[in-house]
Amino acid sequence: MTQPPGPAPYDPANPGDGSQAPYGAAEPGGSPQHPSGGPGVPAGEPYPAGPYGSPQASGQPPYAGQPGYGGQPYTGQPQSPGPPPYAAGAYPASAYAPPYYPKNSLAVWSLVLGIASFVLSCGFVTGIPAVIVGNAAKRAVAEGQADNEGMATAGIVLGWVAIGLSAVGLLLLLVFFPALFAWVGTIPDQS
Amino acid sequence: MATEAVRRRPVPRAARAPLAVGALVAAATVYVAVVDPNRPGHYVTCPLLALTGLACPGCGGLRATHDLAHLDLVGAWSMNPLWVVVAPLLVVLWAVWLVRAWRGRPAPRVPAGVAWATLGVLVVFGVLRNVPALVPWLGPVAS
Repeated sequence: MTQPPGPAPYDPANPGDGSQAPYGAAEPGGSPQHPSGGPGVPAGEPYPAGPYGSPQASGQPPYAGQPGYGGQPYTGQPQSPGPPPYAAGAYPASAYAPPYYPKNSLAVWSLVLGIASFVLSCGFVTGIPAVIVGNAAKRAVAEGQADNEGMATAGIVLGWVAIGLSAVGLLLLLVFFPALFAWVGTIPDQS
Repeated sequence: MATEAVRRRPVPRAARAPLAVGALVAAATVYVAVVDPNRPGHYVTCPLLALTGLACPGCGGLRATHDLAHLDLVGAWSMNPLWVVVAPLLVVLWAVWLVRAWRGRPAPRVPAGVAWATLGVLVVFGVLRNVPALVPWLGPVAS
């Protein structure tokens, strides 16, 4: 990543320094170690501090801890210790850490509430919480704190279906029962 | 002075959700407590019960809530024993949620295993309370 932008601002800076001719001369040959000096030179520090101060100014730990950068000549030995910092930087330790999803239980609760709204015959009681919790679960997935988006979707869909069916049933009952009572002509008395 | 201080203290924004839920449930409970679900005509009859005669796991829930609101534990138990067990747990869970929200902490997270267990209990309870021999213990029994 640092290699392509490294040499580009590096070239116009080196002729100005003059003292860093060896780096400029070896530039077309060995590319790996030059990006290390690349960020330091365009940083704008005075050239006496250039070779030694550049790793510190660039803030890159692999180069700051590289002992052979300043002491060893550019004879090709820096190229062999050069690749390990790149390899270490390319594979961060977090890639091997097991993923942790602390909010996966939200989607489970959404699914369970969605199923429960069909086990119970009133879809409002658990259907509405299923939708709310399912949306919270989807938010957790978007934030990277959960990975079971499919389960959250299932809970939301089940919740909405239960709510819709209950609403239809309630409408039917509210319309059907008064009509039935009117047809019978009597309202059930409260014994 | 004290009431003024209490009134001036703003309700935390995160506490509005549990307060709204609590107000809703409280209003519904008061309605169920005042309007007796044991008398027909006030509530919509459960379509499952009306069509099939089966008792779903929530059957008798309104009557049990009415009895609980009137502190009639025996009557509530005879209507829906599961609801008598679950309702206090829900109240406690809501209280924890409210306190945590008031202090700016995230809502309590109930583990997923509890969710699956709840579903299992719900299904088993719904099946067992329709077994004729178990109806006197699990089914809604008019006292």
